[in-house]
This record gives sequence, C-alpha cells and structure tokens, in this order.
Amino acid sequence: MNGNECISETLGDYVLVRLSGEVDLSWSQQVRRAILDALGDTGKVGVELSQVSYIDSSGIAALVEGFQNARSRGSRFALVAISDAVRAVLELARLDRVFLIVADPAAVSGS
Amino acid sequence: MRPVAADSRDSARASGRRALSFLADLSQSLAVSLDLKTTLGPALTRTMDFMHAEGASLFLLDPATKLLECKVCAGPVDIVGLKLEVGQGVVGRAVAENAPQRSDDARRDARVNTRVDAETGFLTRAILCVPLATAQGPIGALEIINRRDGGAFDADDAEILRLVAAPMALAINNARLALEVAEQQRIRREMGLARSIQKSLLPKRRRGKFPLIGVNLPAHEISGDFYDYFDLADGRLAFFVGDISGKGLDAAFLMVRVASLLRWSGKAAPAPAAWLREVNTELCETLQNGRFVCAVVGIYDRRTHKVVIANAGFPPGLLDHGGRFEELPADGPPLGIIKEAEYGERTLDLGGAALYLFSDGATDVREGARARLGADGLCELIRRYAALAPEPRLRALISELKRRRLVDDTTLLLLQEPRGSEVRELLALRFPADPREMRRVRAELRTALDVEDVAPELRDRLVLVVDEACTNVMRHAYCGGETGTIALRVTRERDMLGFELRDEAPCVDPARIKPRDLSECRAGGLGVAFIDATMDFWHIEGLPGGRGNRLVMRKRVAAQVQNDRESD
Repeated sequence: MNGNECISETLGDYVLVRLSGEVDLSWSQQVRRAILDALGDTGKVGVELSQVSYIDSSGIAALVEGFQNARSRGSRFALVAISDAVRAVLELARLDRVFLIVADPAAVSGS
Repeated sequence: MRPVAADSRDSARASGRRALSFLADLSQSLAVSLDLKTTLGPALTRTMDFMHAEGASLFLLDPATKLLECKVCAGPVDIVGLKLEVGQGVVGRAVAENAPQRSDDARRDARVNTRVDAETGFLTRAILCVPLATAQGPIGALEIINRRDGGAFDADDAEILRLVAAPMALAINNARLALEVAEQQRIRREMGLARSIQKSLLPKRRRGKFPLIGVNLPAHEISGDFYDYFDLADGRLAFFVGDISGKGLDAAFLMVRVASLLRWSGKAAPAPAAWLREVNTELCETLQNGRFVCAVVGIYDRRTHKVVIANAGFPPGLLDHGGRFEELPADGPPLGIIKEAEYGERTLDLGGAALYLFSDGATDVREGARARLGADGLCELIRRYAALAPEPRLRALISELKRRRLVDDTTLLLLQEPRGSEVRELLALRFPADPREMRRVRAELRTALDVEDVAPELRDRLVLVVDEACTNVMRHAYCGGETGTIALRVTRERDMLGFELRDEAPCVDPARIKPRDLSECRAGGLGVAFIDATMDFWHIEGLPGGRGNRLVMRKRVAAQVQNDRESD
C-alpha cells in the first residue's frame, strides 16, 4: 500500500475531494478526473490536501485545470488545509495567490 | 584517261588528308607537353610551313594588364615582346571580336598596324589571324603573314588556321592551370612549414601536476596569437599570452619576434607591470605601420598560490570562483602604441579558482547566423564543463569553439592548481522510463541528500526538480510508445551538487526546452520552470548519433561543516 488515495465525499452543498500520499505523474490523471467529475456534480468543490506529502507539476496542473473549469462555470473551488509540501510547490509555481485556500472544509460552503 | 574533274577531286582529297595528318600531329605534340616554351616554337614553325606563309606569330593576353604580347614567332622578323592593346590592329581585333580576321591587301587596310613594317623594312601584304578561343573567352591570337606564292589567304586557309588554333589554346590553357596548381601547392607547402615552425615555438605541454595549459587554434594556416611559459630561477612560473593586430604572414612573423622579446624580457623576472613597460618601449621603437600587440603577462607562485598579472589591451581575463566569474580588465593600452604608457598589475589569490586568459578569437566565434559568442557565452561554456579536470575541460571548450565558426586566431590559457578528483558519487540509478518508478527514485534521492546534510527545504526542491526532469523525459522524449530507461547520477564536488540525467530517447531540440513565464496561470510547462528557478545551472544536449539526451544540472549548497558534531 503506497498511501496514495483520492476519495470524493459529498458534505452538505459541496463535494470534498480528499487527496493523500504522493501526487505524481503515475496517478495525477486520476486526480484530475475526480476533480472535474466533482465539478460536474456540484457548484462547490474543495480539494483537501493536508495528507499530501508530495505533489509534482502534473498534480499542480490538475488543480489548475479544476480552478479554470470552476471559474468558467461560475462554481466555487477551494484548496483545503494544504500541507507544507503542497504550499512550497504552489509558491514555487507562484500559484499560492491564485487559488482560494481555506483551512477548514466548512469554508468551502462559503459564508 | 581520267577526267579533269576527278583529278582535281583527288588532289582536293589528298590535300585534305595532308591537312588532317598535320593537325593530328600538331595536336598530339601540344597535348603531350606541358612545357610551352619547347612546344609552341616548333608548332608555330610547322604551322607557318604548312600554310605556306612567310611568317607566323602567337600573341597571348595578359589578364592583369589586358595587353596582348607576342610570345613566339617564326619567320624573318622577330617581334617577340611586341605589345598590342585589345582591339588594336588585326591581332587586337581578332581577340576583341573573338573572330578570324583576314586582310588580303594589308598595305591598303586600315586595320593593319604598319609600325612593325616601318621599323623593320618587312613588307606585309596579306594577313590571316584567328583568336585562341577557350570557354572563358579568347586568351590570345594566332597570326600568319604573306603567302609565299604572293597571293591572298582564302577561306580554306582561315578554316585550317582555326583548327590549328584550337589545340594551341587548349595546350596553353592546360599549361597555365598546371602552373597555377603547382604554385598553389608550393604556397600550401610553405604555409605548412611556417605553421609547424610556429607550433614548435609554443611551449611543450608539461606532464604531471602542472598548473598551466594553453591551446592555440589558428583561423588559417598561421597564427598571430602566441603564448609561452617558463620557470624562473626562484621557482616561480612566468607566462604570457598575446595577439598581434592583423592577420596573415606579416602578423605571424611579428608574433615570432614579440614572443621572443617577451620571453627574453621575462627571464629577468621583473614585476609584470615593469615587464610590459620594457617590452612596450622596445616595440614602440620598432613596430611599423600601425601594428600593435595585445598581451597579458603574469607570474605565479605555486607556494603561496598568488598570481600577479598585467594586461596590455588584451581581452579581460576571467577568474572562475566555482561558477562566479570575476572579470580582470586591461591594466593599460596595447603594446607598441604609446611609448610612455604605464601599466598596472593585479595580485590574485588563485586558491581553487581557475584563471582563463583568451584572445578575442575565442569570443568572436560565430554561431551560425547568430552574433558572436561573447564573454557571457564563453562563461556559459566554462560553467557547462566546470566539473571536468582542467585538461579535458580545455579540450571540451576548444571543441565547442571549433563546432562554431572560428573567424580569428584563438588562444586559450588556463591557470589552475591541479587537484585530485574530489568528485564523489552520491547516487547512481538506472530505471525504466515509467512514472510508477518515481516514488522509489524520489525516496532514494531524498535519502542521499539527507546524508549530505542538505537543508530540508532545498532537499525537497531538488527532489521535485529531478522528478520533473525525469517525468519530462517520460512524457516528451519517450513519446509515441517508446520505452527505455533513464540513468540518474548525483555527484558532489566540494559544495557543488551535480545531477546528470541520461536517456536513450531520440534527441530533443534543446532550443525548444525553455522555462515558461511563471507569472501566467496555466497547467502545462511547469517542470522546466521549476528546474530553471531552482538550479544554478542546467544544460541539455542530444548525444551523438541522434539518440539519447543528457541533462546536466548543478546546485551549490552550503559547505559542509565537518567538525560540527565532533566539537559538540
């Protein structure tokens, strides 16, 4: 078991996609699909990243695609509880100010 | 009894046969010899006799002066050396018009030049002249004078003379070409000799742990660049490198003189500034027509690792402190211009650094249609091969320069204290180009970097960048169902981490691999941007043979503090 997991669950009016493990090219397509599917199902999607110990540019690309997709639909898209590893790569890619980043899943629902 | 008509037909046939055998003999005698002096004279006499003429002459066109000069003649009047302008007289006209000229009554013909007759008392009655035609136009003319029976030349005569002129023109042309080839071979031989004499003046490469190596690449056979080094009595090492203004033979001769002068003056071990001053004074007295000499002289003390250099108008030297370059500009004007010139000198602590001195030929190389390489381009090349020992590094630099277009003599001198190989291998992996392999590769790399005490933040960045480089190979190099392996090698030399990635995929075009602008938000192309933002240096190249790529990346890390834990 390598600890890589991608689980989507519906919580109230939003879908939370929980990622864990090392998000890399070997399965980032699966992550991308899960995010796009969630956006197809509902107008509010959060991607929970607290258990992600590593993410590469293909994983970041999946998040960027989710962000762009949500914006074109007028949906809400947030990154939730990002780990330090994810934050470092977002900063390197200068995307840390592009995404809506929240600490608590409940914030995905909006105020 | 045979009818009269048949009789004259027979005689026509007989004279035709006679003409043919004459032409065949003439052609053959001209064809077998390249020595025109011995061939043309008899050929001309035979032509004169065959044509029943009183005189014959052959004129050749001098391409330089555009004058026609009589080279050979036969008959009672010697006109060898007579010069005519093209268009002048019957001969000049034959050449100008590239067409036969016939004068049946020369005394009343305005075309005929009467000067020779007036000077010699010879009476010119009839003239027939044909050009010596070649594919490149007429190269001269063949002329016969006066039929012996007193009559005029006729159309048949003109036709035969034209046939005679053809092999003559060919023979003359061949002989000229042969002469040119021989001349070129002679020049090449002498240039080769000059080159080997020049080469013998360059110092012999010393074996063992010697800190100086130099290379001289002439743009042509001979060079105006020079370098030399020699031991001083006190054990220090003196060296110089220079460049004579201008190119070619005279620059090469001057180079020999200046190099001897610098060596002679340097043997007395003056301080570099005084060394330059002395040579400058001497050259100011003797150099002529605007020539000057750019040079650097220096003295290196191997015990203190201090080097003192003085630069007279030579391109700025480069001191490479492990990737950081210090420019060492000129300390005074070129030698041989200002008699009172004063030169500064600078003392450098060589330590582990490398001092590069290079003539402007090294930065003037052209990259295709692109501009010159420049000092920045040279620094870039030096960085690329910084991991190599001095000798292979210099070889690599030279082959890089050669791969571009050399436009000037090029000389490189490298001063660096040799050291034992301190390159340690931290990790060497070969794995299938499959994304599922990367988790293990990252783990091994992380461990290797931890062993080296690389700070966690930088460690994670380096792991990310190597991962991106590998997945780029998988996605872009091994595309279209190609499979293969990736070899990763991580090394450390002092405080420099080196990462080398090799694959067996078709060569990628390095020009297409550029970091994207990180300020725009889009999904693709992040990997190269990560590499660019993290590494101090990176370079990708296709391996020879169209297969395989090599990516080299380097990152300086904080020097290890080894006694840290023991002292705790």
